Amino acid sequence: MAGNGTSTAPDAGQRQRGVRRTALLLGIVAAVFYVGFIAMMVWRATR
Amino acid sequence: MAYNDHAATAHDHDAHDHKPHGWRRWVFATNHKDIGTMYLVFAGISFFIGGSMAMLIRLELFKPGMQFLDPMFFNSMTTMHALEMIFGAVMPAWTGLANWMIPMQVGAPDMALPRLNNFSFWILPFAFTLLLSTLFVPGGGPAGGWTMYPPLMLQGGAGFPMTIFAIHMMGISSILGAINVVVTIMNLRAPGMTLLRMPLFVWTWLITAYLLIAVMPVLAGAVTMLLTDHFFGTTFFTAAGGGDPVMFQHIFWFFGHPEVYILILPAFGVVSEIIPTFSRKPLFGYEAMVYATASIAFLSFIVWAHHMFTVGMPLAGQLFFMLSTMLIAIPTGVKVFNWTATMYRGSLSFEPPMLFALSFLFLFTIGGLSGLMLAIVPADYQYQDTYFVVAHFHYVLVPGAVFAIMGAIYYWLPKWTGNMYDQKLATWHFWLSTIFVNVLFFPQHFLGLAGMPRRIPDYAVQFTDWNMVSSIGGFAFGLSQFLFPYIIWKCVRGGVRVGNRAWEGAHGLEWELPSPPPFHSWTEPPSDALIQRGAAH
Repeated sequence: MAGNGTSTAPDAGQRQRGVRRTALLLGIVAAVFYVGFIAMMVWRATR
Repeated sequence: MAYNDHAATAHDHDAHDHKPHGWRRWVFATNHKDIGTMYLVFAGISFFIGGSMAMLIRLELFKPGMQFLDPMFFNSMTTMHALEMIFGAVMPAWTGLANWMIPMQVGAPDMALPRLNNFSFWILPFAFTLLLSTLFVPGGGPAGGWTMYPPLMLQGGAGFPMTIFAIHMMGISSILGAINVVVTIMNLRAPGMTLLRMPLFVWTWLITAYLLIAVMPVLAGAVTMLLTDHFFGTTFFTAAGGGDPVMFQHIFWFFGHPEVYILILPAFGVVSEIIPTFSRKPLFGYEAMVYATASIAFLSFIVWAHHMFTVGMPLAGQLFFMLSTMLIAIPTGVKVFNWTATMYRGSLSFEPPMLFALSFLFLFTIGGLSGLMLAIVPADYQYQDTYFVVAHFHYVLVPGAVFAIMGAIYYWLPKWTGNMYDQKLATWHFWLSTIFVNVLFFPQHFLGLAGMPRRIPDYAVQFTDWNMVSSIGGFAFGLSQFLFPYIIWKCVRGGVRVGNRAWEGAHGLEWELPSPPPFHSWTEPPSDALIQRGAAH
């Protein structure tokens, strides 16, 4: 049957923290890339 | 029969499926399977919209002279066809497959960020409605090619800012989807599912997701600069104001070349799943495949200028980009060798997924070889902007990416639906597609070598014969694609029931789940024994 297994499930809180941490890190990296590239361009244009 | 028709398989999980009903199930979807299905349906619709644009292009090019289309509209069609197929069909199809398969393959109950997943998907219909609506505004749709080179792109009408906004939306959707994939793989793998036990599809998608996060912002920056040049008086790409149109090409291709690998790396993953299954052998050189994928991804960042040798650059630059491009042939060659070695002395059978994977192997290699020809600087000076380039990238993207997507759907459809599809009809779909994709694109090599330029609605009469052949191939290929949704629809409606392991040689956690899998799968992580059995490489 699906989903049956003998492995111990990891601590849900720990997993949730991991998800938040990775998502936040990647979100910041993507946002810095995304906004940073455009901001850099605007800054260069106004020089 | 190489598939397992275990009619006796219990489907008792249905009783535990608490899924929402009606339109709310889809609009507010957070289940990875539902979102995966929506991505795949969206990709299918885009495939037919983009395909109909290709049919119009081939209709106009059937013979010399202007027949049916206004030249401006023809240019819009080449541009929109590319944008539809790349951002609307192939990328969403891979994201749909990732949504369906990654949680099931790594033993996770769902994607890590389900609501973000919903948002990523629902941006897309709005983005493409906006893009397609440019065809109905003054000035028409974007007509400067999907590469959007200035100054041509800056001459667009009211559709220009709409296109830029649509591209931003597609980019944001892709980035959010990619973040979700990385977070899921890094955090929600079942205990015991180590990185080097992951299926190749998961590995290739992980690397693809990193590529997406790295390069989509570059595209966003480039198109925003176009926008400010057009509306806010900047001159990034206008020589008269001290700007440089060639700089756009550098920025665009810094995004554009990794984008090619975003489209093709998941295909490598799918083929690495299908070939071992139908060879009944473990994948040859699993770790080498992982390292080859990572090497290709790294090299994809340092080859961009091979798209623009003819704009002029220092000899050292030409040599660097030529040699770095040729280097990509090494990890790609490793992959082709390993797929071939997997089949060597295997117990092969040729069901539709395997047929598509084999077609991928042969025809993608042809596209790769013509890519090597284009990497040679002096030769590229002759091929640049001819139909040879069109033939090259269509060999990479159609029998490459699109055939791999079709192979993946034929591979996992029995798992998704619990029914085996009409294999005879799918085999017909394969042969018609494979024959006519070659009739469509192979003559374009000859046209290009003879000097026919790309992106023109009319041509000199000496190019007539091969254009007619190409158009006939195009119409036949296009028509044969209607078999695909019919086969899927028929399978969804019913068919011979399949067991958990729909294909007898299949390995992996997804095949340990019932067919169809429960709405919520792996609510408890799989055991180490199951993981080890799945990781048979």
